[in-house]
Amino acid sequence: MPRTQDVALSVKNLKTYFYTNNRCNKAVNGVSFEIRKGKTLCIVGESGCGKSVTASTIMQLLPALSRIEQGQVTYHSDSGDVHIEKLQRDGKEMRAIRGSEIAMIFQDPMTALNPVYTIGFQIGESLKYHTDLSTKEIREKTIDLLRGMGISLPEMRVDDYPHSYSGGMRQRAMIAMAMSCNPKILIADEPTTALDVTIQSQIFELMDKLKAENETAIMLITHDMGVVAELADDVAVMYMGNIVEAGTVDQVLRHPVHPYTRALLKSIPVLGRGRNQDIQPIAGSTPDPYDRPIGCQFAPRCKHRIEACDVMPQEVTFNGTQRVMCWRYKEFLPDAG
Amino acid sequence: MLTYVIRRILLLIPMLLTISFLVYTALELTPGDAVSALINPELASRLTEAQFYELRESYGLNKSFITRYGIWLGNVMQGNFGHSLAGGVPISTIFLDRLPATLELSLVALFFSTVLGCILGTYSALKRGSITDSSLTVIGMVGVSIPEFFFGLVALLIFALNLGWLPVGGRLLPGYETIWDRIPHIVMPAMVLSLMMTAGVMRYARSSMLDALTRDFITTARSKGLPEWRINLLHGFRVALTPVVVLIGFRLPVLIGGSVIIEQVFQWPGLGNEFIGAVRGSDYPLVMMIALFSVFTVLMASLIIDVLTALIDPRVRLS
Ligand SMILES: Nc1ncnc2c1ncn2[C@@H]1O[C@H](COP(=O)(O)OP(=O)(O)OP(=O)(O)O)[C@@H](O)[C@H]1O
Ligand SMILES: [Mg+2]
Repeated sequence: MPRTQDVALSVKNLKTYFYTNNRCNKAVNGVSFEIRKGKTLCIVGESGCGKSVTASTIMQLLPALSRIEQGQVTYHSDSGDVHIEKLQRDGKEMRAIRGSEIAMIFQDPMTALNPVYTIGFQIGESLKYHTDLSTKEIREKTIDLLRGMGISLPEMRVDDYPHSYSGGMRQRAMIAMAMSCNPKILIADEPTTALDVTIQSQIFELMDKLKAENETAIMLITHDMGVVAELADDVAVMYMGNIVEAGTVDQVLRHPVHPYTRALLKSIPVLGRGRNQDIQPIAGSTPDPYDRPIGCQFAPRCKHRIEACDVMPQEVTFNGTQRVMCWRYKEFLPDAG
Repeated sequence: MLTYVIRRILLLIPMLLTISFLVYTALELTPGDAVSALINPELASRLTEAQFYELRESYGLNKSFITRYGIWLGNVMQGNFGHSLAGGVPISTIFLDRLPATLELSLVALFFSTVLGCILGTYSALKRGSITDSSLTVIGMVGVSIPEFFFGLVALLIFALNLGWLPVGGRLLPGYETIWDRIPHIVMPAMVLSLMMTAGVMRYARSSMLDALTRDFITTARSKGLPEWRINLLHGFRVALTPVVVLIGFRLPVLIGGSVIIEQVFQWPGLGNEFIGAVRGSDYPLVMMIALFSVFTVLMASLIIDVLTALIDPRVRLS
């Protein structure tokens, strides 16, 4: 367990439910994790497992028909703990945290910027609301930020509209916007899925550099195990609203315990391991989110299913920091043979 | 941007030519001929046969159809629109006389409906699902489906005849010319005329705003910690505005058509009123010129709207 003063944000038993058409979708159903200061936590998992909802919950950016049902999201700020789940969604305290203490970048930089305002205006907005800088200072800072993100001729590009930026440049601008107020935590929800591979690695390098320079904690949502291996300090694997396994990157990638983590790792090609990898897609598909299994969510697709799996497994911590939710985890431990 | 405007203006020319040609053909088909309508009838009646022939010759009346069209077009472009059959007044004089009233009425109505429609539509979208929203939606539906003259008559009955708050009609009483004397006269016709348009703009602004609010950049704006008013107005409404302006452009002909009826209902001394009179009196030259003029206005308005749209949308402005 990391000491509390090393933790930037802790989430405990968080449940976020959606209510659509009188049906309840338990999108996030009891997740707990911590984001350590200056470290990167990667959240991985198949589409629809609740990664984005977890991120939106932390920022209180949930759509109107969803709400935090239970649990705590605690932001450990320099001036004491803030219980985000207790704040009003768009109230003053929440707004003071958004963009300033916790910032977010999104999946699609093509749609995440407002087409009718210049890049400079949109970055400046953050500074305007979270700092006391004058208009002139805001402009200078914006230009500096763009330069820092590797945008050439920032003095000119600052007055350009998003449509004249390429996808990669827009994401850089988004990062500039997110980093403008030196947030303690940066949440990146699949920030490179919409970009091509060469740009991807540049963006990640940039994020890594920023993390090192500013001590920003990063929560990175991704599908790409290669990225996880490269950037992550901690990893959490989500499946159907639960974190089924979590730990340091070494623990989870090298010694995965949960059958889902192991299946997931086998189902994804790893960059650099050549063409003849033994790739096995996970059998079956994710269940209907409105009609979830009662017990272990992965049970219907699991090769190791037993009767006990019809009951939701308890979370177990072992090796200090590795956590798993599986009745049979002991049999899968690396030293279990 | 400048090339865009120039290209847009060049596009107007073939349209105007086609329409003026149609109007000219129609004029040729009506009793008398178009060019003789250019001559003051008072004068014509005093001419001898030979003088009249000479005059016809000088106007090119004995030339081919296309040449005559050319001559007529030249005259129209110099402001000689011909003469009304009733009283032989030059049509340009009628225009100068009546146009200010029509412009005043339609601009006030346009202003009302744009501002009111945008405010109500945006409000409705922001309070989506509330009672206010549902009532506005119902009112909007009624607004676009009931004809304006009906509203006009009801308004007259209530506010002018029963309550006596507002004058029954007309634009100005002789001798009362300050703006305070004018306002009571224009309130009712402008309101009634703008009703349908307001309802249309409101409905459109609502859906455009709802659409804008679901866009990703709204979440981005919220994630920056901006206050709600800024997210809704600066980010949402600003983006929702572009399609609304386009719609207003599309609806302008409706406003112009509506003003014909409303001017009649409220005895507003504008071109629309004149138009009805001209139709009743089979004053074809006048009817045709007013028609030509309204087409011209609609085209110019659509040009202005296009330029405006370009101005508020950087993607168009810069390409
Ligand atoms: N705006 C929404 N309205 C209704 N349901 C939603 C909404 N957003 C997410 N959900 C539901 O919440 C669940 C989790 O979705 P979430 O977007 O968090 O998945 P994800 O892990 O981010 O997937 P992906 O990798 O595709 O982004 C899904 O069942 C989804 O249908
Ligand atoms: Mg997602």
